[in-house]
Amino acid sequence: MPDILEVDGVSKSFGGVRAVDGASFRIKAPGIYGLIGPNGAGKTTLFDMICGRQFADAGSICLAGVRIDRLRVHQRARLGVARTFQECRVLEEESCLDNVLFAAQDKHLGTEMIQTFDRRDGPRHAVTEEAERLLDLVNLRPLVAEAAGTLSYGQRRLLEIICSLIAKPRLLLLDEPASGINPTLLNVLRDFLLRIFAERRLVLIIVEHNMEFIMSLASHILVMHQGRVLEEGPPAAIQASRRVIDAYLG
Amino acid sequence: MTALLEQIVNGAMMGAIYVLVALGMVLIFGVMEILNFAHGVLFMAGGYLCDVFVLHLTGSYPLAVILTMVTLAIIGVALERGVFRRLRVNVPMQIVASLGLILMAENGAVLLFGPSALQLTVPSVHSLVRVGELSFTVQHFIIIGAAVASIAALQLFLRRTRLGAALRATSQNPEAARVIGIDSDRVYRLTFAVASALAGLGGALLGPLFLISPQMGDLPLLKGLTAIVLGGMGSIPGAIVGGFAIGIIEAVSTLFITTDYRDMVVFAVLIAILLVRPWGLFGIRVRGDA
Amino acid sequence: MRVRAGTARLAIGALFAAALYLVPVAFAGSPYVLFTLTLTLCYAIPAMGLNLLLGYTGLVSLGHMGFAGVGAYVTALLMKHGLASFVPSILAGTLAAGLVGVLTGVPCLRLRSHYFIIVTLAVGMMLFLLFNNLDWLTGGAAGLPGVPRPRPLDLGFAVVDPRRPAGFYLLAATAFLLVFVIQYALVHSDFGRSLAAIRQDETLAASRGVDVFAHKLTIFAVSAAIAGLGGGVQVLFLRAAAPQSFGFLEDVNVVLIVIVGGSGSLFGPCLGALLFVALPEALRVADAFRMVLFGAALVALALFAPRGLWGLAATVARKLRADRSVVARAGHS
Repeated sequence: MPDILEVDGVSKSFGGVRAVDGASFRIKAPGIYGLIGPNGAGKTTLFDMICGRQFADAGSICLAGVRIDRLRVHQRARLGVARTFQECRVLEEESCLDNVLFAAQDKHLGTEMIQTFDRRDGPRHAVTEEAERLLDLVNLRPLVAEAAGTLSYGQRRLLEIICSLIAKPRLLLLDEPASGINPTLLNVLRDFLLRIFAERRLVLIIVEHNMEFIMSLASHILVMHQGRVLEEGPPAAIQASRRVIDAYLG
Repeated sequence: MTALLEQIVNGAMMGAIYVLVALGMVLIFGVMEILNFAHGVLFMAGGYLCDVFVLHLTGSYPLAVILTMVTLAIIGVALERGVFRRLRVNVPMQIVASLGLILMAENGAVLLFGPSALQLTVPSVHSLVRVGELSFTVQHFIIIGAAVASIAALQLFLRRTRLGAALRATSQNPEAARVIGIDSDRVYRLTFAVASALAGLGGALLGPLFLISPQMGDLPLLKGLTAIVLGGMGSIPGAIVGGFAIGIIEAVSTLFITTDYRDMVVFAVLIAILLVRPWGLFGIRVRGDA
Repeated sequence: MRVRAGTARLAIGALFAAALYLVPVAFAGSPYVLFTLTLTLCYAIPAMGLNLLLGYTGLVSLGHMGFAGVGAYVTALLMKHGLASFVPSILAGTLAAGLVGVLTGVPCLRLRSHYFIIVTLAVGMMLFLLFNNLDWLTGGAAGLPGVPRPRPLDLGFAVVDPRRPAGFYLLAATAFLLVFVIQYALVHSDFGRSLAAIRQDETLAASRGVDVFAHKLTIFAVSAAIAGLGGGVQVLFLRAAAPQSFGFLEDVNVVLIVIVGGSGSLFGPCLGALLFVALPEALRVADAFRMVLFGAALVALALFAPRGLWGLAATVARKLRADRSVVARAGHS
């Protein structure tokens, strides 16, 4: 059984600054993984390289044994790599439901062109139920028809996460999902993620600065420092680790 | 050989004009991210205002040129406050507004001055300078000199004054500039003022040499656009190199092809740069460029 | 609920088409009106093509009439030299324009927004200069006069003669409706939804699996082909091809038609075309004073109606509905 995700010796420089410097790790089984590290450790750049927004200067990335590091963003998305963004991106002009339905849509150009002339709405109807169920789980059901641009920040984050889930990805990367969220909504988010994991058994990698949140959610933590993976292990071990504490304080 | 030299000097002169237009456009784009398609009519306004000032206000051409620059600066500020500030993020509407301004200005010129071109007679166009077998008007060299002087003045302003530093800061990072207390509104007004004054200078200088007409700014606009793309959209050195390069390439090409196709050369250059090296000679390659 | 909405739309569409076809009957005594409306349709077709690109996908093309010119000249050459009959000629023009669109799009669509605008301007200018200077092919500045109208068509219950004003109007109306239906189908489909996503947030669209480049290229080609169709119809209407019809002023014109009419809506370009043609002074040799006013109107529009006239109308309609419901609710309290 190949590893679900294998990142091997990946590096990226931006004009002289080495953002990621030979980072390596493997993910062998479904689970909720945390990716933490001080600012500038290279976490978001690593995310960008896994999902294809940036190409690695060196190293390789394999998804279930298949090399994906030269594929473009949309190709990796179709292979099951989904992500949310630090700045939280949704389609502002579309309703919440349309945001989710669009995320679920089969986006192969050929299929879309055929759908233009063969106007059966079947697939859309099927997904609507699942979309509404998910929106219900995070109390967004009443806002189903509202434009995403009118939602509050926390609500947009939840919507963004649902959109990235609806196409049943194998790998979901969440970039600081808890930032700017009030404690009540954080609990909703935590419960929602645990529930999704229980239902889907996918690989969830979460970049976070909110220690309480990530430690209570993840079963395995990866720590990045200065562009590399410094240490990895269960939350308790990481929280006790001298090296990790030094990295944050130093 | 002499034909080549003649075209190089002609090219440098037209290039100087393009530089004046391009500098203004690159300032506005660099600081405000606005592609000002109406820049050509500012150029044209410079030509007409200078004519008015010489004939009706002061008999002195140099004084008229200065007055033209000042007036255009004021017009530029009015445009920025009235029109362009609100359209910073809406690119299609920037285009609509620019086109509206072009229609207003060109047709306004027709109303005020008639559709036929005006001729402004100034001494510097009639005195000739001889270089070997060739002769050029004094105006040729005044134009080149004016461009060089403007470049020097602009550099001094940007690097040695506080306002200039504020302008540079805002173009690099508007949010950070605001955070450290730079008044971005003031910077925007200043940018438009300087850019418009430069465009007006160009029109005032070229007018006497050729003719002053409502459409006189159209081609300089497109050539100026080509220059800033060639040089790199946010780069002042780029605008300078680009402007002179376009002027000289254009002039030299007339040695090989008919003037009908001369404009095609410039557009072909523009397309080629955009396809091969869109960030131009001096621009920064940003994530997202091919 | 869903079925009824669809049927309602179909009914409206049918009424619209019927009204369109009844125009020659309604205005039988006013040839000038018929002429103006036919010209409007000729402008509306490329405008609808550009709208797909600009309004729905968010790509501003400042050289779009160049593609119309490609279609126009191909159609004109084929018809003038008797090389093909009407339908193959128009089809050839449409396909040629689409092909030029693909050739242009492949290198240019990779560019970011400001660069893309400039390169489309340059391409449009290049195409115009080619139309204007390739005398042996395009007739140069004088163009190609003497383009014949299509031969009469026997429909069984009637004969449509495009050589007469009413007959050509019907031909133009049919082309218009065809493009309208295509536009409608594309916009209200998964493909259209992907385009809308690209317009709103390209990065997001890509991360959800949209091949942004392929989509942009497809719509660019379709949009160019539609412009080519419009060019072909126009050249048959005017019985001549001239380069000025496809120069910078016309590029500007079609962009204004789309934006002022209301980009991103299906009827916007039609409204814009009606406006820009039914005010004939605004197009050709215009009184300078009226042009100044027109320019001022454009600036005002840019500042106060960022979504064009159709968008303005929609906003006003929504406000009126909201006011009415507030009043109704107040009445019930």
